[in-house]
Amino acid sequence: MKTKVIFTFPPEIVEKPISHTLMKEFDLWINILRAKIEPSEGGKLVIELQGDEENIKAGIELAEKSGVGVTLLENDVLWDKELCVDCGACISLCPTQALTLDRDTFKLNFDFGRCVACGSCAQVCPVKAISINF
Amino acid sequence: MGVKKATREVDVVTTGTFSPMCSSGVILNFGHTDPPIRMQKIWLNDVPAHGGLAAVDTYLGATSLSKTMEDYGGAHVIEGLLRGEEVFLRATSSGTDCYPQKEIETYITLEGINEALLFNPRNCYQNYNVAVNTSTRRIHTYMGTLLPKLGNATYCTSGQLSPLLNDPTFRAIGMGTRIFLGGAQGHVVWHGTQHNPTTKIVDGNKIVGGGTISVMGNLKQMSVDFIRAAVFPGYGVTMFVGIGTPIPILDEDMMRFVSVCDSDIYTTISDYSCTHKSKPVLGTVNYAQLRSGSIKIGDKEVPTSPLSSYAKAREIAEKLKKDITQGKFLLQEPAWQLPNKSSNKTSE
Ligand code: SF4
Ligand code: SF4
Repeated sequence: MKTKVIFTFPPEIVEKPISHTLMKEFDLWINILRAKIEPSEGGKLVIELQGDEENIKAGIELAEKSGVGVTLLENDVLWDKELCVDCGACISLCPTQALTLDRDTFKLNFDFGRCVACGSCAQVCPVKAISINF
Repeated sequence: MGVKKATREVDVVTTGTFSPMCSSGVILNFGHTDPPIRMQKIWLNDVPAHGGLAAVDTYLGATSLSKTMEDYGGAHVIEGLLRGEEVFLRATSSGTDCYPQKEIETYITLEGINEALLFNPRNCYQNYNVAVNTSTRRIHTYMGTLLPKLGNATYCTSGQLSPLLNDPTFRAIGMGTRIFLGGAQGHVVWHGTQHNPTTKIVDGNKIVGGGTISVMGNLKQMSVDFIRAAVFPGYGVTMFVGIGTPIPILDEDMMRFVSVCDSDIYTTISDYSCTHKSKPVLGTVNYAQLRSGSIKIGDKEVPTSPLSSYAKAREIAEKLKKDITQGKFLLQEPAWQLPNKSSNKTSE
């Protein structure tokens, strides 16, 4: 199973080897999609966890216990379909092709599985239909 | 179906576009105050509006920017009015014997004011170039954000659905033509400013020019489904305007014109990293290629973004078709035709 999550590190635990523990103890495969960490300010990691469902759950629990804020990527990248006008301004700026226009309806398709929460789409959307909490 | 048969069977074809159109705005009349004021400086939600008309008339341009709020401008005020929101009006005046009041601060709503007329001096570009950036830095333009080294390309008409590409010689669309405008029925009132329908040949491909129309309609009857404020980061505020036109099939020539396909319509690729008025042209491309999601420039595969919503353009053309068949929208013959010559001069 694969899950994308955003880890938010407060400054005091930036030094803790949390990813290492997740890999070693829970046999999780970790793919870091994006990172923004300043030792003095804490930071955020967008990661993809791969492994047994139970281990993922246990791993997330451990991270939370250590003081890391954990949110699912889907909950942090918000696309307001009602506001979206399907203009496609965002699609050519998406580095992972998570955003495409449907071949038949020409409406925007958002494939969260491909998204790495880079924020480009939120920056350029002319009607602010996408917002990212990163 | 052949052209002959189609001409016999089809009465009207509808077109549509929903694109950012900067040259847009509203004429407002607030109604008089007591004692009366001749407004000379006017702000709506802190966005400056024009104070050079009669006492309580103004023109609010879509791109006018708020003095206090980032990423907020005239188009947002217009959208707010359409959403039924209260808008804060502040105006000042030097005062005269007949208009003694010197300042006013109040809230207005769309319903509560005398007139709100959408009046757009230049809309509906017939054809427009594709924007790219060959420089090494990201640039912010009215054609959206352009990534360095040909990182992406943006284009901005609805191609085969675009009103003026279906009537390239302006036989059906002219002064007085009734159109779908922002969800209401409006009219073409003149040719647009910078109207330039001159056709060129580039790389052996015919490039239809940039004819434009000036349009007007009652904002009170419009809807946020078809009028929306837009922010282009680093450039500013503009407004999405939805326009649709009916094109009566007068003869076989007309049928041929409206049968135009994305793969027949070419446009030029311009380098927006050049800050001069005439930008280097990197080649030509057709709308079918643009709509496929990426185009080739040299050896490079460049992802494309439309900016103009094709889904909305279709919705508009469909809605217009429905209104015509139900007898709610009547076709209006133009009082006179748009010029086939350019009105374009430069101010260098
Ligand atoms: S840029 Fe915004 S409005 Fe346009 S398609 Fe993307 S999300 Fe929708
Ligand atoms: S945040 Fe937006 S631009 Fe970035 S990967 Fe996700 S969908 Fe694509």
